Parts: sequence; structure tokens; C-alpha cells
Amino acid sequence: MTALAQNTTKTTATVSPPTKAPRRRRAWLFTIAAGIIALVVNVPLLNAVLVSFKPDGEIAKNPISLPTSPTLDHYANVLYASGYDFPRFFANSAMIAVGTVLLVLIIAIPATYAIVRLNFGGRWIISSASGLRLLPAIFFVVPFFILFSTLGLADTIPGLIAANTFLNLPLAIILLSSALGDIPQEIEEAAAVDGASIYRTLGSIVLPLLAPTMVAVSVLVFIFSWNDYLFALVLSTSDATPVTLGAANFITSTGIRWGDISAASVLSTLPPLLFAVFAQRYLVSGLSSGAVKG
Amino acid sequence: MPSTVVERPRSTATERRKRTTAALILSLPLILFAAVFVIYPLASGALTAFQSSTLLDQSNEPNGIDNFISLFRSDGFAKAAGFTVGFSAVVVVIEMVLGFALALLMNRAFPGKKLFFTLLLLPIMVAPALLGVMFRLLLNGDIGALPALLDSVGLSVSLFSPDSVIPLLVVLDVLQWTPFTFLIIYAGLQSFPKELLEASAMDGAGYVRSLTSVIVPVLKPVLFAAFFLRAIDAIRTFDVIYVLTAGGPGTSTTTLSIYIYKTAFESGDFGKAAAAALVVLVCLIPFVPFIVRRISSTGMEAKK
Repeated sequence: MTALAQNTTKTTATVSPPTKAPRRRRAWLFTIAAGIIALVVNVPLLNAVLVSFKPDGEIAKNPISLPTSPTLDHYANVLYASGYDFPRFFANSAMIAVGTVLLVLIIAIPATYAIVRLNFGGRWIISSASGLRLLPAIFFVVPFFILFSTLGLADTIPGLIAANTFLNLPLAIILLSSALGDIPQEIEEAAAVDGASIYRTLGSIVLPLLAPTMVAVSVLVFIFSWNDYLFALVLSTSDATPVTLGAANFITSTGIRWGDISAASVLSTLPPLLFAVFAQRYLVSGLSSGAVKG
Repeated sequence: MPSTVVERPRSTATERRKRTTAALILSLPLILFAAVFVIYPLASGALTAFQSSTLLDQSNEPNGIDNFISLFRSDGFAKAAGFTVGFSAVVVVIEMVLGFALALLMNRAFPGKKLFFTLLLLPIMVAPALLGVMFRLLLNGDIGALPALLDSVGLSVSLFSPDSVIPLLVVLDVLQWTPFTFLIIYAGLQSFPKELLEASAMDGAGYVRSLTSVIVPVLKPVLFAAFFLRAIDAIRTFDVIYVLTAGGPGTSTTTLSIYIYKTAFESGDFGKAAAAALVVLVCLIPFVPFIVRRISSTGMEAKK
């Protein structure tokens, strides 16, 4: 990741043309190309933003134009109009995502320490964690539905936190064990020699060193659990409905109020998007090491 | 891959016991969670596949391999499997080529690079289900910008008609996930040994030549990782397609995930759905150790 950050400012061109002027012109060509591609992949998002600011009359009349008289009505509707449950969906998503992050960290950090440092259970736990992450979630949908009905967890926030923790634990264990492996063990040994207990060592020596990875894990887990749809679809009916499900429901259930739907989908996308942009450094390292390092 | 556990002189028995106790206590939350939410569901899911179990009647009478027989007799499962494999193959190949090209494009300095890098990654952060909603806005026949645009140049295409719906879904998947293959390959390019390129340039290799004989071979593990990760995700595609077409028109865009979901919660046949899930799982499991090894060897490579 550090390499990545550095290279955004200091990148070596593969072939360097002899003179300076054409080189600078070529650099601008790359800017234009990257700009066009960035625009194209974001067309759906951009379109939703534009539609969300158009007054109702304008939406159908000018599908391709910028909003001529921008309005915040749709956002006000989505947030305040009665009959919309959007604020509750939003709060549900927030509770589920934050709860999942906390539960994942609480379970994964001590366990990873035990696996990697105290040699507990052997390396196969980490391998099976990677393996588990590769299996399709759909396999677990029927068993989860039956289990959750039995446990009384169906359509509850704790239930969806558990389901999302299940989905995200493997990634957390993989990332944390990889980071823990990079921390020199001598530091912990020194603490042990000084008489610190294992718990003390974990709490005051290892945790601070793991902080960057914990941030990466938190950001990724937050985004993934905010974005979950399949388990929400199966395990929530009304009380625990998150925005992914709620915003999609707007389309089929409340008639066609396109402006409101756009505003709802834009609002629902904001938290993970803001998170991603502000924590990009951690996110990219997390994604690329989670993916590439496995 | 993570640490190698360093062998150290064996300490006293009490200390070893203390370490084991601590390890147990520290792992307890994971053990409990895994028992309830991983082991038990895996076992009960496998069991359900051999029982007659429905949404309404979960008496769970064992019925041998009846579920599997009815699964393979109906053509829905085979069709969904065919669509899933075909769709995944097409989108992953396109996304690999475009992601690689984009990574090469971004692998140099130009004005505004940081901003565009951030913008390029946005699609990965948007929930696929919400992206599905946004695509419905964009593609809607009455208010969508794309049909309006096509109309204005004299093309009126019905985007969700049986003929155009699959290419449409391919394009949408490519739009969302090319940034992902781009990110992985780009990260690989960043740790690329620059001397290799300089050496090949010195030997007179042109850009194409150094691409095919230097960049691609060196990046092979990264390319494999991107390919497999994307392939696995493509095979379990659910959200966008479900929100956009619900697997239709007919069953033409029903992925395996959608098929299993519908079998369980629309037809209400838990036994058959569990059987289908088990078949998919059994087909995928042989690839798992291979992929884990591939990906972790990429890690070794990156750490050198």
C-alpha cells in the first residue's frame, strides 16, 4: 500500500519520449482517458444523483439533461414524509454494520492471536477461513433460515449482525493473521520477560501494533455488511430491514416515484462511499492484501 | 502467508499449561460462534438435502436421494448452471482484459491521477442491490437516460427483451467489477520490479514485446488471483440480476444463486434447494484448496 501511495506521485513511465513537450501532452491524454473511463463506470450513480435533484415534472421530460431547477424535495420526502420507512431502514443498516464490525473484531482479534502466536489449533484454521470465504453464501441460506427461526433471531438486528459476522469473519482472520505475522515476535517476548501476562501483552503491545489492520478490517466489514442483500432478503421481513432491501422495495411497492427512489438510493450509498473515500489508504491495502495475499 | 511459528526452547510445564489455557480462553468466542453459525448450518444444510422439508412443513422426513432426482429431472437447475457458468466465463474474461488495460493505463503519472483512481474504485463500494436500483433508473423505458439517448439517435431497443437482456447484464457486470480486477492488477504492477522493464527496453524490446514477455509472465500469480476471485464472485451472482430481472424473462437470467433462492422461498422446497446448494458446493470444493494455494503463493511473491 505504501508503494501504491508513493507511486501515485512518483511513477516511472515505461518508455520515456525524448523531449519534454510531447511528453506533457501525452500525460494529458492519459488524464482524459482516465477521466472518461471513471465517468463511464459511474454513470448509474451519477444518473441517480441527477434524477434525485430533478422536480417530478422534469424527470420524465428530460431524461438526459442536468436538473434545470434543482430541488431537495425528494430527499425531504424520503426522510420526513410519512409512509416511508426509510429512516428506520437506514438506522437498521447502521446498527447492523457497526454491530458486525464490533463483533467481528471481538471474535477475530483474540482468536487470531491464539492461532498465530499461541499456536492454537494449527494453521488449518486459517486455511479453512480462506476456504470458507470462497464458498457461495447461498449454500447457507436455507440452514440459516431454519436456524434463525428456531433461535428467534429471524428479522432481528442481532440476527443480521450474526449473519454478517459469519460472512466477514474469514476475511478478518486472514487479514489479521497476515498482519500479526509481520509483527516481530521479540517485542512480545520482551514484555513476557518483564512479567506481562499474555492478556496484558495482547492488550497493550499487540493491539496498538495491529491498529492499521484493524482499521482496514473495520472499513471493509462495514462496507460489506452495509451492502449485504441476500441474507437481508432471507432473514428480515420488516423489523430488521436494511436499506439495500428497503431501497429496492421502493421500486415495486410504493408505485413509481422515481425522484424519491433516486434520493433513497443515493442516501443509502453515501455511508459506504464516504467511508471508502476517506479510508481509501486502508481500504486499498485491505482489499489488495485480502485478495492478493489471501 | 502469516507467521511461521518460531520454535523456541520449551519452557516449563506450568508455563505451557498457562499458554494453552490462554489460547482456549482467547479462542472461545470464535469456537462458540463457529459451532453455532458455521458447523451446525453446514451439517444441517447437508442433512436437509436428504430430507423432505418445505417452508410450511419442516417435519424433515428422510427421503434418500429424492431431492437430487427431482433436481436433475427438472431442467431449471441445469439451465441455471449453464447460464451461471456461461455468464461468469464471459464477464470474467472481459473484466480481466479491461482491468489489465486500465491498470497499465493508470500505471504512470499524469495530472489528476489521484482523483480518477478514487473515482474508478467507487463502483466496487456501491451495494450491488442498490446499483441494481440505479440501473433501473438509468434503463427505464419512460424516464431512463439510456433509452432516451438511444431514441434520440433513432435506435429504439427494448433493453429487457429476451434478446438483449443477457448482453445488457454482461455490460452492467463489467461496469461494476472491472474496477475490481483493475485494483488487484494495479496493486501487482506497483510491486513490479522496474529493473526488469529497463533491462528489456535496453535489449531493444518494444512496448508490446515487453508486455507479452516480461509483464504478463511476472504478473501471472496476480492475474490468477484476480481471475479466481472474480470467477468465484461471478458464480455466486445474485443481487444485481435479482433486483433487475428477478431471473427473467422466463428463466433466461436465473443464476444458480437465484435458482436456489427461488426454490427455497418461492416454491418453498427446502429439501430441493438444499440439494442444489450441496451439488454446487461439491462442485466448487475441489477448486478451493487450489485457489487458496494459488492466492497465498501470490502473497509469498508479493512479500519478497
